This record gives sequence, C-alpha cells and structure tokens, in this order.
Amino acid sequence: MSAVARARGGAPIKRLLKRNEFYLAALILVLCVSITAANPSFLTLENVLSFLKTSSVNGILAVGVLFVLILGGTPDVSFTAIAQVVEYVVVMATLRWGGDIPLALLGACALGAVMGSVNGFIIHYFRVTTIVVTIATLNVYFGMLYVLTGGNVIFVVHPMFKQFASILLFPMRSANGAVYGLSLMPVMWLAVLVVGWFILRHTFLGRAIFAMGGNEVAAQRIGVNTLWTRVFVFSFVGLLSGVAAIVHTAIVLSAIPNIIVGHELEVIAAVVLGGASLFGGKGTIIGTFLGVLLFAVLKNGLVLLNFSSYWYDVTIGIAITVGITVSAYQQQRAERSRVNVKVEAVAAQ
Amino acid sequence: MTDARAGQSDRSPSALGALTPSTERRRIPDASLYVILVAIVVLMTAVNPERFPTLSNLQSMLSQLPILAFLSIGMMISMLSGGINLAIVSTANFTGIITALMLRALTAGDSASATLGVTAVAMLAGVAGCMLVGAFMGWLVAYVEVPAILATLGVTTLLDGVNVVLTRGYTISNFPDALLAIGNGMTFGVPTPFLMLLVVVVLLHFLLNRMPFGFRLYMLGSNPIAAKFSNINTRAVLMGDYVLSSAFSALTAFVMMGQLNSVKANYAQSYVLVAVLACFLGGVDPFGGAGRLSGMILAVIILQIISSGVNLLRVDPFFVTAMWGAIILVLIAVNHFTGRWREGRRLARMHGPGAPEGAPTARPSATEPNSSPRGERVR
Repeated sequence: MSAVARARGGAPIKRLLKRNEFYLAALILVLCVSITAANPSFLTLENVLSFLKTSSVNGILAVGVLFVLILGGTPDVSFTAIAQVVEYVVVMATLRWGGDIPLALLGACALGAVMGSVNGFIIHYFRVTTIVVTIATLNVYFGMLYVLTGGNVIFVVHPMFKQFASILLFPMRSANGAVYGLSLMPVMWLAVLVVGWFILRHTFLGRAIFAMGGNEVAAQRIGVNTLWTRVFVFSFVGLLSGVAAIVHTAIVLSAIPNIIVGHELEVIAAVVLGGASLFGGKGTIIGTFLGVLLFAVLKNGLVLLNFSSYWYDVTIGIAITVGITVSAYQQQRAERSRVNVKVEAVAAQ
Repeated sequence: MTDARAGQSDRSPSALGALTPSTERRRIPDASLYVILVAIVVLMTAVNPERFPTLSNLQSMLSQLPILAFLSIGMMISMLSGGINLAIVSTANFTGIITALMLRALTAGDSASATLGVTAVAMLAGVAGCMLVGAFMGWLVAYVEVPAILATLGVTTLLDGVNVVLTRGYTISNFPDALLAIGNGMTFGVPTPFLMLLVVVVLLHFLLNRMPFGFRLYMLGSNPIAAKFSNINTRAVLMGDYVLSSAFSALTAFVMMGQLNSVKANYAQSYVLVAVLACFLGGVDPFGGAGRLSGMILAVIILQIISSGVNLLRVDPFFVTAMWGAIILVLIAVNHFTGRWREGRRLARMHGPGAPEGAPTARPSATEPNSSPRGERVR
C-alpha cells in the first residue's frame, strides 16, 4: 500500500496514520465521493447545510456523552430522557408564559443541568456504575413525563421557535428558487464543540476529567475534587441536553414525548466510533464530530440513493459493528507491539 | 439451589476487601430477597385483596414469568463472564421472525396448518439463526476483544434493522397449534411455559454449578488472567457463554410466539432494562464471576409479582416504567447503607466495641474511592 510507504517517509504522517480520526475522516470522504457519484445532489451546499442542521441535535448530545466516556466507566444513557423532559417543559412553559429564545435556552440549560447533576451525586455517593444509575433515571424521568403529560403530543409551539428556525446566516437562493442558508442550529452545535474543546484542552477541569478517566485514585491523590468534577460532567451532559432540546424543538416545531428517547445508543455509538474509549481517559472533540458526521452522511446518503428507510438501521448496525471491530483490532495490535517493544528492551539489556 | 460457589462468589475485588480477614458469620444466601418477596406478596394482597390472591392471578403470573425469567437468565449468563448481552430481546425477535418466515415459506403462506414436523423444522431454523447471532457476538467479544457492551450494542442495532427489513415492519401472525401450546398450554393446571422454565432452570443449575463449563465460566468472570493461566481456554468459554446466553433468547422467542401468536421487529424492547434490573436485584455482579441462579429466580419472581400486582391496580403502564427506575435507585441506596452497616459491624467485631477507627458512620470513600464496603459496587 502506498499509504504505508508514505508513512515511513515522515513522522507527522506516521502519527496521523495512528489517529482514529484520520480513518474516520477518510471513510467519510470515501462515502461522500461514492454517494456523490451516484447522486450529484449529495455534495451541494444546500444538502450539506440541511443534514448538518438535522444532525445538530445528536451532535450536541454527543459532546456530553464524550465527557462521560472520558470520565470513565460505562456510558450515560439518561441524556435523551433529560432532553425529552426539558423539551416538553420548555414548550409548555413558553406557551403559557411566553418569553424569548435566550430565556428559554437559559431555563432549558438550568433544568437539564439540575437533572443531570442528580446522576453525578448518586454515582459519587453510592458508587454504582454509571449505566445502572442512568438506566434508572432514564426510566424515572421518561415514565414520569408520560404519567404527568398523558403522552400528549403538542403540535403548536410558541411562534418564537419558528422564527428562530427561520433565521438564516448567508441566505442563498437555489436553482429552483428556494431560499437556503446556514441556520442557527449547526452554529449552536459548533459553539458547543468549541466550548467542549476548550474545557477539555485548556482548563484544569478538563485535565481533571482526563485524569479521573485514567485513574480515579491517582487523580484524587494529586488533588482533583472527584465529587465536583463528576457532578460537573453530569450537569454538563444535562445542560447540553437542554441545548439539544431547544434545537430539537426549533427543528421539529412540536413536542412529541417519545421522539428523542431511544436515540441514546446511536449517539453513544457515534462517540465511540469517534475514538472515545469505554475505559475512560481517551477521546477527542474532533473524533466525536466526525463520528456524528459519519452517521449523518450515511443517513442522508441512504435517502438520496433511494434506499428504503428499513435499511437505515441495518446500515448503522453494520457501521457500528465494523467500526468497533476495527478499533478493537487496532488496540489489540497496539498492545501486542507494546509488549514486543518491552520484550525487545529487556532482551537488549 | 445451594451451590458450591456461594462463598466464593461473595468475593471482593478491592485490595482492602481481599486483605481483611473474613470474620463475618455465614449468611443465609438471598436472605434479603426472601424478605422482599414476602413483603411484596403481603403488600400486594393488602392493596388488592379481591384480585391479587386468586388462583387465576397465580396462573397468569406463572405463565407470564417465563419470558422475563428466560431473558434475565440470558442476561445473567453474559454477566457471569463480566460482560453484558444487550441484544437478548433483539435476538429473541430475530429468532421469532426467522421461525415465522420459515413456517410461512414451508406451508406456502398458511402457517396455521403446519404439521408438527414442519413446525419443528421452522423452530430449528430459528434456533440456528439465534446460535449464529450468539456465536458472532461471542467471536466479537472473545477473539476481537471488543468490549461486550459495545459488541452487543452493535449487534442489537444490526438485528433491529435486519428484523425490520425481514418483516417490512409488519406483524406476522397465525401460528400452528403446536407453537401456541408452548405459550398458552396448561399441563395439570400449571402453565406449560412455567414447566419449561423449571426444567431449564434445573438443567442450567447442573451446567453452572456441577459441570466444568460452569466452573470455568465463574473463574473466567472473577479473574480472566488467572483463568487463562489455569489452562482454561478463556476464548472458547467466552464464546460458549454468548451462545448459551442467546439460547435463552430462543426460548423466550418461542414462548412469546405462543402467547402473542405474532412476531414483530420491536416486541418487548423494554425487557432489556427489566432483565438488567433483575440481575441487579438478584445479586449478579456486573463485573463477572458472582451471581447465583437462585437469587436471580427470586428476583424475577419479585419483579413479576410487582408488575402483575401493579397491573391489577390499573395504573398507567408508564408509571410502571418510572417505578422500575425508582426501584433500582432504592436498591442502590439500600445496598449502599446495608453494606456500610455490615462493614461497620465487622470492623467493630474485629477491633472490639470501642474501636473508633472505621466506625459505621465513617465515610469509607473518603480516602479510598474504590474500596467500597462491598466490593461489587466499585465503579
């Protein structure tokens, strides 16, 4: 393979070849090229903007999942229920009392953060695995939402959401006269990505999260406040669920009590495909972005290639299975080569 | 069902737990579960004295129990190795759909008229499909070394998709009487699926507690490296573990087909959670190596009584969903506090009554975040 030959040439390329993100980006590129070859309308600005918009909900949620995975332990699954409850509450509250988007966003974030922090406290004080606690809270939140609302769909939301959704940056006109442009939802996704990147890379908090993922006892020994770091992470997941709830409301312009719940595995899978380790201490924002993007491209590509929607889950399932198989295989090989290096080093002495 | 490894399974993976000598008196296994069981029965009878303690309710509970029990046992078997099988329900649906499609193909559309032989062939096809899924998951976990939660998650998504594609999203119904008898039949006044469950549990008890495979499985779960160095083919055991776990999905599938007289891509999805809950309640350690069949069965019975009892009260089914979550949270808290209490008593016995160190009120996590009073709650 020429790629291998090139890898021997320079160190930066060699390092790049070891990155999960590189393969993910390459896969997305291959997919984009092949879908475009079959249907040229895929790689138009209009289509790309449209699928970025629809995947911004999952994209925002994925950043929260990334934080939990870096912190270590099993993944959080309650974030969809939090987003669902927040969405319903915000839609009801704005219908009754009015308000504007920034206020709704603030309220959504606050409610989400409080609901998320409950997970953090329970996990810290009772020392149970994340997935058990969050399965429980998922069911409590989701069940109570249904019980209290009767499972009714709210078809009419406050007009401000429609107004918010219709704001277009750089409005353009397509060939058939329809106006399109960059809407605010992907911008919010980008903002969340930047905030997440900043916290993880440039704050002590981010260091603390990585440290706890690597080794919690060691992190505590060097002075990390494990309680507040954990509570922060789970509140942050809740906060992002709140943001996602607002974005979702703006996209679908209704509140359906079971539309977000059930997507948690898809979001987790995207983050894991993006290179986050289930063993903690590992994961990047760019990988998470690419993981979500891969699913978005797949979903959109299937539609444009006229596949029936039945095939969507199969494709996603294959993508997840192949993705985790490849990444597990790589890890296996990396471990073996590490052992070999050690053996050689011992032999050389 | 007392078993030889009851003592071993109470192990503590934390360094502190392993070093402290066990001065604790032998406890009756699953004592707390018996207490909960009695309490729940009394509570349900008190709340609903006309409809709960009746023969028909007992029969209906006995016929509903096997589905939950088979799924929970499948989940438990995967947890014994330290993994988890999130695909149990999807595998069950897959098995059901394969069987139904085979029936339809073999009888040219009129599934209900299938003879016993044809039905058996179709069921074998379903089992074969199910085994294939189990082997695939086992291969992913054992040989590719994918974390079990991810491997089974991927397979779940894949199977859900395949199920929808195979059925085009429709319900397939109308099955032959032989199949319906598995789900609805009565033998000497006892629902047939319950008798099936009894037989299977006895067989499984021998497999897990009296046969080499079971011993290897528990060893693998409690310490994979030690198991490997004890000349156990860990990969083969792990593979067998997932095939066995999936076999319980097949059993679930046939009972479900019999009771509902239909198959669909997304039946019983919420049971994955209840199965996890049953394992948690039954004292199965999600990190592997610990968990007894008896505790598991008790937990399933408790959950079934709660579910049936609450259903009789005609409450919102989503309230039941919320309740499952709340029960997990309560259990977590109870486990935590009783664990601390026991630890405190043990320390008090070790150091004498006046020992100030390690008193029950001392937060065990203050210095050692990973050495919880009882090992299984280490994150």
